[in-house]
Amino acid sequence: MLPDIFQLIKKLDSLDYVVEEGLATILLLMLKLKKPLLLEGPPGVGKTEAAHIIASYLNTKLIRLQCYEGLDVNSAIYEWNYQKQLLSIKLTEGSELSPAEKESHIFGDEFLLKRPLLQAITESDKAPVLLIDEIDRADEEFEAFLLELLSAYQISIPEMGTIKANHIPIVVLTSNRTRELSDALKRRCLYHWVPYPEFQKELAIINKHLPDINQVLASQLVKFVQYLRSLKLDKSPGIAESIDWAEGLIALGAKTFTKDYIDKSLGVILKSDKDITNIRGQGIDSILNEIEA
Amino acid sequence: MGFCELCRSHDLSIGLNHSEEALMAAQSGFINDSKSFKIALRSIFCSCEEEYSTFDRFFDIYWRKKRHEYMPKTRTRKQTKIIKQTKGSVVLVGSGDEEETKKDGARTVSGANKMESLRKTDFSKVADIDHLLLDELAEKLLLQLNHRLKRRLRASKDGKIDLRKTIRRNLSQGDNIFDLIKKNRKFEKYRMVILLDVSGSMDKYSFYLLKFIWTLKSNFKNIEAFIFSTKLLRITEIIEKVQIDQAMLQMNTNSDHWSSGTVIGKCLQEFNDQYSKKVLNGRSITVILSDGLDTGEPELLSEELKKIKLRTSKVIWLNPLKGMEGYEPLAKGMKAALPEIHTFESAHNLESLMELEKYLSHV
Repeated sequence: MLPDIFQLIKKLDSLDYVVEEGLATILLLMLKLKKPLLLEGPPGVGKTEAAHIIASYLNTKLIRLQCYEGLDVNSAIYEWNYQKQLLSIKLTEGSELSPAEKESHIFGDEFLLKRPLLQAITESDKAPVLLIDEIDRADEEFEAFLLELLSAYQISIPEMGTIKANHIPIVVLTSNRTRELSDALKRRCLYHWVPYPEFQKELAIINKHLPDINQVLASQLVKFVQYLRSLKLDKSPGIAESIDWAEGLIALGAKTFTKDYIDKSLGVILKSDKDITNIRGQGIDSILNEIEA
Repeated sequence: MGFCELCRSHDLSIGLNHSEEALMAAQSGFINDSKSFKIALRSIFCSCEEEYSTFDRFFDIYWRKKRHEYMPKTRTRKQTKIIKQTKGSVVLVGSGDEEETKKDGARTVSGANKMESLRKTDFSKVADIDHLLLDELAEKLLLQLNHRLKRRLRASKDGKIDLRKTIRRNLSQGDNIFDLIKKNRKFEKYRMVILLDVSGSMDKYSFYLLKFIWTLKSNFKNIEAFIFSTKLLRITEIIEKVQIDQAMLQMNTNSDHWSSGTVIGKCLQEFNDQYSKKVLNGRSITVILSDGLDTGEPELLSEELKKIKLRTSKVIWLNPLKGMEGYEPLAKGMKAALPEIHTFESAHNLESLMELEKYLSHV
């Protein structure tokens, strides 16, 4: 392992983020090459968290854009503050200003509502971390637009001209892979697949979040969750859910990982009625035996 | 650079900029540790998880021989040799099944890109080894199809400005009009009714076609699916609730007629008697997936089809056999059906299924 990577892992660890060598290498590479990073993986494996942690590692601002179907330019980049503009027109109605002056006035900076992408570009002190979350939910048109932004780091506003980035932002995109992203977008990004964590890593994560947890309980819980992931469930539990579950068990006062407690708190880890009935049908006892074996 | 070329020649899409980045990565220190270098290059070269395994294989092949001391000038000749060797061995690994498909009489594989050829390969002629690969590809393509259909539906939603409503809404503001109201075309819900033939002659296709139904299901909320051979079975509920592999099991146990004979006419009659009034209307498309090899009465088939045609806005018949060269709809069942259907298309490979998109998006 390179010393740089080792240091990064240590640093992130002190920020309470457990990262394995693969992801750490990519993060370092992203910082060195100044390229956007695309993280793909099942929900709840800490993709978004990675962006947060990079921001606090660099001690810079995190700007987040949550994507959804129908996300458009107006809510992603900028919007004019129409109400304010109208008001301003009324106010200047009687004044002596020429129409050209009026126009340049109402299309000034103060009437511009900056949305995340524009914000990221105009950030003045330091390169921010721009997190574009769940890009797979946005439309293809939006993806195409992103291409332009990610290659030139500039945005053109018809009324104001082109705005170039002061500092090239560090871009992290995440995707749950509900659909394939376009090749063009992928080509511009570094790619990393974030899998569900292995036993040791998940245990470490839980210990990070809940330092007081009983070690036997924690390791049994992780084994149980890992077993659940190996089944074909409607919704496999993510890391966040394991942490919730551990927290929940502590709140219930559980000292040991027994059937009784599991049965009561199954709703924390399984989020579908079918899965719960399935697991109950299979018998929690038999699962416990199996993971112990 | 040699490594880039190697990867490129094996289906990983790598551009010039990727090579450049790889060099940059190497220069910024990653070259000093082979494991880090591998991870770094992988993130640059791969664009989805499935490519990881390919990448790992090539990385090992290439760098094991090179021992990652890179001295391009003196090594160029050796490099090309290595590429040739690895190419040779890899093609050998992959070519076994390709040849099998050839032997089976599928379209000739032009040696270019295996994935491309698989898309065009008849479902029934896919060698067993290729099944996994085809499955993977099918999923990918169907995902694409899925997405494209969605986009079209959405695009048609954009409307014109509704002047009347706009003016009315803005009366209170005097002569300033700033609240534009748009007239959206009403989103038409149409229903899709699928009848899938699962008789013995369709065995090789029915699995893929079922998969296709699953993809469609995510587009059309309003979907009715039936399978038939000698009897008709409604599977709408099954596909709505469960995942495909479980559903296959369930359907197998539910229908004792899987892979049996075909009596299309009788099944359509059953359909007309029991369901058609409920599920067919002017805004529904009926898709029949069958090879038309019927053992029943052709007259009955044609009559029942006519009834369906009257009730629905479009009848599409997809016949996997149509993909065969020189196929003519000579089977008496198919012949009887032809005048009653609007669209007669093939459904023998993935590409032909993708083409169906155009019929589905312009209804």
